[in-house]
Amino acid sequence: MRVSQDLVSDVAEVLLSEEQIAARVADLGQRISSDYAGRELTLVSVLKGSLPFMADLMRRITLPLRIDLMEVSSYGGTSTESSGLVRILKDLSAPIDGRDVLIVEDIIDTGLTLNYLIRYLKGKNPNSIKVCSLLDKPARRLVEIPIDYVGFEIPDAFVVGYGLDFGEVYRNLRFVGVLRPEAYES
Amino acid sequence: MTGADSTQGLRMDYAFAHASEAEFGRILDFYQVAWVYEPTTFPILWDLDGNVLESFAPDFYLPELELFIELTTLQQRLVRKKNRKVRRLRELYPALRIKLFYARDFRALMLKYGRSALVSELSGTLGQVGPHAGPADSEFPEVRLEGPAGAGGGPDGADPAALGLGADQLRPERRSRNARRRAVRRAAAATAHAAAT
Repeated sequence: MRVSQDLVSDVAEVLLSEEQIAARVADLGQRISSDYAGRELTLVSVLKGSLPFMADLMRRITLPLRIDLMEVSSYGGTSTESSGLVRILKDLSAPIDGRDVLIVEDIIDTGLTLNYLIRYLKGKNPNSIKVCSLLDKPARRLVEIPIDYVGFEIPDAFVVGYGLDFGEVYRNLRFVGVLRPEAYES
Repeated sequence: MTGADSTQGLRMDYAFAHASEAEFGRILDFYQVAWVYEPTTFPILWDLDGNVLESFAPDFYLPELELFIELTTLQQRLVRKKNRKVRRLRELYPALRIKLFYARDFRALMLKYGRSALVSELSGTLGQVGPHAGPADSEFPEVRLEGPAGAGGGPDGADPAALGLGADQLRPERRSRNARRRAVRRAAAATAHAAAT
């Protein structure tokens, strides 16, 4: 994997600018604030990709809320040998029973991780579970899960930035862009 | 074996037709999504006597999601054939949910999971793992639906009724393989005769 030092050179096209993202996050925050007024909201950020989105979204929600972080292992990882089952690498730090949980994701494509996560969290008896994702890539969907709050529906392209990575790189780009094929084919 | 067993790890007892299918099964296992490999063969073309001329067995059925998945990572000629079969399947069985997973979808999946280096060996002709030991799509179908829904079963005893497929969705085929082959020969002869005249 060959990464340009400025990162931006590896991006073929800016799909969502910093300004577009900020405006949409503000909208989502307003909607969530209205929908969850008077309720016990916990935002659950799914590491690592949703971290920038979570940080911005929570500051656009005008309600008392709790935040928590989870990390789920991804298929394949860095090994060429794949085996075993999905694992919770980092679990919630506080109980969620009786609380209204909003899962904060960076992107939903196949829905496999989210499907697992929802099943797992349901076992902790929350009052409700809903999903907020910055990006939705429906063309790749295998598991149909209703996404209650969607930032942007995006085309079927490999995107990086604003938390999204390729090989753990590009997360710190301030925009969402389409990665040049040379960056992942090399 | 039922779909629920998929949570117990990879099941290599299936004779996958293609390496990409084995990899896809591993991914579903990883995320604890129950699946069955080619549990149902759907007749999609009959002759005038009602004999099955062509059938289609989607690669995977995900019972919890009520979704069939067909992977196609082979050459374009076969993709066109699969597209046609899926179109036909949707026409005949509109209640079924089926997703065709193309080579580009598989590549994207491998890229997402950091396994892009494996794409070439899991895709296309290289990914084929030899003669298919299991039921396959065929012009000479081995239809495994022996009766009304619930009476038949796949290689793991996959019950069409358990798949949520009713008798109206699955047209049973009771003829023997020889009878079907005779019917196909008759249909081919009739087609040749019609073309000649």
